[in-house]
Amino acid sequence: MSMAATRPARRFTLNRALPALTGLGTVVVFFLLMELAIRTNLLSQFIVPPPSEIIASFPRVIVEEHVLNRFMLTLGECLAAGVMLTVVGVSLGVLMQRFKLLQQACETWVAALASAPVVLCYPLFLVIFGRNAWTIIMMGFVAGLPPVILKTLEGITGVRRVLVNVGRSFKLTESQQFWKILFPAALPNIFVGIRLGLIFALINVVGVEFLINFGGLGQLINELAERYDLAGTYAAICFVVLVSVLFFMAVEKAERWLTRAE
Amino acid sequence: MNAPLQNPSDILVVDDVVVRFDTPEGAVTAVDHVSFGVRQGEFLSVIGPSGCGKSTLFNVIGGLLGHTSGTANVAGETINGPHPSIGMVFQEESTFPWRNVTDNVAFPLELIGMPKAQRIERARHFISLVGLDGFENRYPNELSGGMRQRVSLARTLASEPKILLMDEPFAALDEQTRLLLGDKVLQIQQQLKQTTLLITHNITEAVQMSDRILVMTYRPGKVKRIVDIDLPRPRTSDIVGSEAFGRYVAQIWADLREEASRGMRDEEKTMMGAKS
Amino acid sequence: MADTSRVTLPAPAPMVSQVTMLRVAIILTVLAVWEFLSRSGWLYRDVVPSLLAIGRALIDLLTHGDYYFNLAVTAGEVGAALAIGGSLGLIVGIALGANRFLSKAFESYLYYLGPTPKIIFFPIMIMWFGVGPGSKIALGTLSCFFPVALSAAAGMRQIDKTLIKVGRSFRATTMQMVFKIYLPAMRHPIINGVRLGLGVALIGTLLAETKLSNKGIGFLIIQAYSIFDMPRMYAMLIILFILSIGANSLVGHFGGLDNIKRS
Repeated sequence: MSMAATRPARRFTLNRALPALTGLGTVVVFFLLMELAIRTNLLSQFIVPPPSEIIASFPRVIVEEHVLNRFMLTLGECLAAGVMLTVVGVSLGVLMQRFKLLQQACETWVAALASAPVVLCYPLFLVIFGRNAWTIIMMGFVAGLPPVILKTLEGITGVRRVLVNVGRSFKLTESQQFWKILFPAALPNIFVGIRLGLIFALINVVGVEFLINFGGLGQLINELAERYDLAGTYAAICFVVLVSVLFFMAVEKAERWLTRAE
Repeated sequence: MNAPLQNPSDILVVDDVVVRFDTPEGAVTAVDHVSFGVRQGEFLSVIGPSGCGKSTLFNVIGGLLGHTSGTANVAGETINGPHPSIGMVFQEESTFPWRNVTDNVAFPLELIGMPKAQRIERARHFISLVGLDGFENRYPNELSGGMRQRVSLARTLASEPKILLMDEPFAALDEQTRLLLGDKVLQIQQQLKQTTLLITHNITEAVQMSDRILVMTYRPGKVKRIVDIDLPRPRTSDIVGSEAFGRYVAQIWADLREEASRGMRDEEKTMMGAKS
Repeated sequence: MADTSRVTLPAPAPMVSQVTMLRVAIILTVLAVWEFLSRSGWLYRDVVPSLLAIGRALIDLLTHGDYYFNLAVTAGEVGAALAIGGSLGLIVGIALGANRFLSKAFESYLYYLGPTPKIIFFPIMIMWFGVGPGSKIALGTLSCFFPVALSAAAGMRQIDKTLIKVGRSFRATTMQMVFKIYLPAMRHPIINGVRLGLGVALIGTLLAETKLSNKGIGFLIIQAYSIFDMPRMYAMLIILFILSIGANSLVGHFGGLDNIKRS
């Protein structure tokens, strides 16, 4: 509050707002053109419903399809995966860093796993966990794990030498050295890893929900598509995209807030 | 201050050039009615405190920056864009990291479409001129800073400019490298009879190499004085110890000191202003 | 206190390094535990098939031309997606990187749309491009457009301004500037973008195949699931992982080589 009070109010100038307005304007014009193209039968309305119809179907989809419940379910799955990948990922990262040999042996494996299409294991997970939320949560967890491990490792191994020497000059014990120097210094990197892990978890949770037709927002799209509810499908996709974008923004804000001391 | 500055036979003529910038704090004059000429084959240095607009002048002569008024001519042609008669060497690291030494030096020749065999031969010649034989196939990150700057120099020389225009080419190097590289530049300049315009803030460097030195004032940048350096050629860094050399350095320092301290006071004022 | 030092390079190795030994030990342990579990019968049958069964499935898969046909279908789809999405991404990225106004107006949309789940667009892609390879290519294209565009835009902005000045001072033409300065100067971010793009294009294409198709690797995997042939599914996942990790490091290799040799 005091910060904001001492700073002069930012003047709203057309110059500053022009790019943002152009971006927004382009989006609006694009939808208007779509609307026009569909209304004049330039585009078949059996492929793309008019944007106005999509917007009109929003309330219907939200009320009739229990979007709030679905949203909570998807969010819950993401958070469950998020908690697991934070606990497991950070622990594994720390473990690998403590035992140098283990890091040398496994770091490239983890990096390779990060570049593999892990989500293709979802039929396997279906067999192992059954058609329930656990399949989805585990998929989100496994997909989000590599960045958490790698960033934790990177954070701890990258702690500046001088900080470590400060700790040694105070004759800290091994565990003090870890908890008072290494871990706090690595936290910003760890938060980056968790943010990436959460993003991967969300992508995979929604994707698997859609693919196995079970659960929250992903299933909604699948169901509406199978019912040939064109406007509804588009509306649901827009809604999921919106939710994911808000999720990314929130996670980014949270990370910035947590690392504000840096 | 106007009569002896230029001569009709000068290869580069800067006449009454003004450069003004629009900044949020209002218009700033970086170069203020500057006039001078560079004679064929001479080594002219432009010296001044930081903030005197000498780098602006460098960019104007190089054709990378427009000027507000006045004219700049090279070999009788007006400069309005990079001119083929002028070759620039930059202060910053400017070698292409994805090209080896030969391909870096051959770059300007490649642009004008010279056949490959021919341009490699030309490039080899200039690589050897700057003393980098044996490094033809190395990449810049395998070379030291001084060597990379020599690659830049060879690259510019390969375009065979009428005027070599250098903006503090040694500024990023340590003192020993700077002196040795200065020798190299002197030797090349004398060998090629290369007309050279050097922008610098280093007095020893300027006196060691130049036939004439143009001293600029602190903001706005004007010509304060032009000093003829009457030291024997060929020169090397050994000249630094001589008595005549010391006199020139003292004379130029007397001129510069006033400007530099004016600049320092000005900077302090802006810092105070920024703080409050 | 040794563990606090920076560990980036593997220790200089004698004949067989400790790292190799540990790796072999880990792999052998995992395999032994796996085989033990499969024989113990504690888990639901077939979830952990015996190594022998997986090995047999692997051989079976690799000796049948059928697999290679499907592999070619998927590879073609991913290749097309990467070509279309990659070039679109490159063009858009360069435009955004070159123009501050465009970047301010549109880049945040790309930045936030980039990581949204792309597979949910599959119903739309089916409506637009049909149930055949078209819709898979479209989904792969949509997936890889974003990372390539964002990397190219960032790469364009981080080009050393001095190198641009050098090009101008030698009076390079616009074409020469693009091909001799801009593109080579952006090679690392572009390769990195293509690498990320390849990964997501592969995922998008394969997931689309598992959802609705009658050929391709994704189809084979979901087919194995539907007839509950677990050894075959494991075999296919193993090959898929090896291929995709290999493709990824192959793309990275070009960039990586540059990294070592040319800064």
